[in-house]
Amino acid sequence: MNILIIEDEKTFASEIQSFLKAEGFICDMADTGKEASEKLSVNLYDFVLLDIGLPDYYGLDLIKEARHAGNDASFIIITARGAVEDKVKGLDLGADDYLAKPFALIELLSRIKAVARRKFHIETQDISLGDLMINIQSRIVTYKTTIVDLTKKEFDLLLYLALNRNKVLTRHQLYEHIWGNILNEQYDSNFIDVHIKNLRKKLNNYVETPWLETVRGIGYMISAD
Amino acid sequence: MRMIRLRTKLTLFNLLSKTAFAVVVIGLLPFVVKRINTIQTDLELIEKREKTIRIIEEAGIEAFITPDNENTFGSYNILKDEFISLERDTVSEELNYIEISSRLIEDETIDYRVLNYTIYIDDLNYLLQIGKSTETISKTEETTWSVIFVFLIFFIVSTLLLDLFYSKRILKPLEQIVEKIKSASSPLKYSREPVKTTTYDFIQLDQTIKDLMEEIVTLFRKEKEITVDISHELLTPVSITRSKLENLLLSSKLDIEAAEKIEESLHTINRLTTLVNSMLLIARIESHQYLKEDSFSLNAVLSEAIDEISPVAENNDIHINYTLKEDHIISQGNRSLLFSMFFNILSNAVKNSNTGDEIAVSCYRKEKNHLVRIKDNGKGMTNDQLKTLFSRFSTKYKRDGEGTGIGLAITKSIADFHNIDIKVTSETGQGTTFLLVFHKNS
Repeated sequence: MNILIIEDEKTFASEIQSFLKAEGFICDMADTGKEASEKLSVNLYDFVLLDIGLPDYYGLDLIKEARHAGNDASFIIITARGAVEDKVKGLDLGADDYLAKPFALIELLSRIKAVARRKFHIETQDISLGDLMINIQSRIVTYKTTIVDLTKKEFDLLLYLALNRNKVLTRHQLYEHIWGNILNEQYDSNFIDVHIKNLRKKLNNYVETPWLETVRGIGYMISAD
Repeated sequence: MRMIRLRTKLTLFNLLSKTAFAVVVIGLLPFVVKRINTIQTDLELIEKREKTIRIIEEAGIEAFITPDNENTFGSYNILKDEFISLERDTVSEELNYIEISSRLIEDETIDYRVLNYTIYIDDLNYLLQIGKSTETISKTEETTWSVIFVFLIFFIVSTLLLDLFYSKRILKPLEQIVEKIKSASSPLKYSREPVKTTTYDFIQLDQTIKDLMEEIVTLFRKEKEITVDISHELLTPVSITRSKLENLLLSSKLDIEAAEKIEESLHTINRLTTLVNSMLLIARIESHQYLKEDSFSLNAVLSEAIDEISPVAENNDIHINYTLKEDHIISQGNRSLLFSMFFNILSNAVKNSNTGDEIAVSCYRKEKNHLVRIKDNGKGMTNDQLKTLFSRFSTKYKRDGEGTGIGLAITKSIADFHNIDIKVTSETGQGTTFLLVFHKNS
């Protein structure tokens, strides 16, 4: 898939680029609004990552231009302005999602994937972890035919780890994904540990969970083929 | 120093100055009245003298003085308060003076103010004496005196009442200005409506205060803008560093030790992010950038916050005991901010509880206000810690070296934003109680 990264901080843009390349995306970059406008009118992209705080352009105008020209690329807005009005305005103009700086690259990836699923109408497939099955659509986990009773937070945690299989996720990345709206300076790691502990306990009632690994000093990972 | 209202002061001053004036007047009055009366009596005596002389000239001296009556004529009126006497005077000296002298009349000594005057008729000297009894004179004095006294009292009382009324009226704008300042809970809320008055000084005062308030508001806004701008500027380098570290962590070539170090750096970066975002949040709340457009049940938000914190509490064997009976509907509020407020207080309670402790949450109504009480029986705080509880970056309340104590500062600004009072009581070793007072209109 093609992605245009519009970001005036070149170092930041190149970090995003190297991450997305490793995930198999084809990336193009623009560090001014003018350049972005040109590239958008010439090339076809599946995704546009748009930092709306551009020095030469009101970022949201790029969405208007693109839509006007019949460009149906999916926009994900990046901003240091966590202001609600920017978010609302962006989504009104047809942006597909919104990320506030600083964000986890993993989170960016999962947002892109989610937008892609919606855009290309990809059937969400159930994820199997041994004898356990995560049903994404109905948000339940089953062991053979029995439903495993999980809280909303436990389900989200398991799903996020499963979607990012074989990647170590730090406690903070997990916390941010699930409790993104709560500013909490001390409890993030503790929160995750408690929920993982509860999650393991519940799953262990049915099966052993050696695949739910604690990576010492870093975080958690689901290892699977 | 005792404080007295300006109006009271003015009235008191008025009363005192008038009383002083009255005392002086009453003190001096007898002398003045006496003097005026004497002058008046003397003029009267002189007038009578002239009349008498005219009568003598018309009727001739013989009508009054004959050798038969030993060359003396005397006439008293019945009450003996006046007399006229005429007699041959052997002394050639010319007399013209007024004096007080006593006369013995029918065994009664009476004091008279007497005019002595020498007249010449046919080369003969006659002494004319016209007298008025001093008793009559002092009676007139008393009358004059009491008239003046009554008038004086009337004057003082009526002007005092007028002063009271007028000073109240004239000082009303000042009271309105004071009221305006009092009713503004913050410079942001100071009324711009000018006070109606024609008094120049009050117009000046009102205008100056308004200008100052506007200046404060401008400075306040600027400060918030700077905070917001700095926060934005900080977030960009933080983002760059974070993405670099995350990319590093994802590369599989790392040994465990390096990975751990990178995670630690990421953790530090995240603390920095939380801090910047907290500052940003407070600046935004305080500059009213958040909307208050949600209408919701308070208990719903509160139980959400409890649900959120419960797993962590239970993990430490801390039990949250709650019965949410009385509900309160917030008609204009920001739901997610109030969630954060409850969450921060609950999180604080959990942090300060010991294993096995209990946290009690209750809601009730008292005097039209809705109250939410969150009570723990944990470590508690000293008075010193209580004082700095809501200040940003308070170090006194730190528990484990990691926190910045900004959570409760956020809580306070959210509460202020919603006009909620927070009362905290605490005792070391006994626990801490947060009492949130939702006013009827909050």
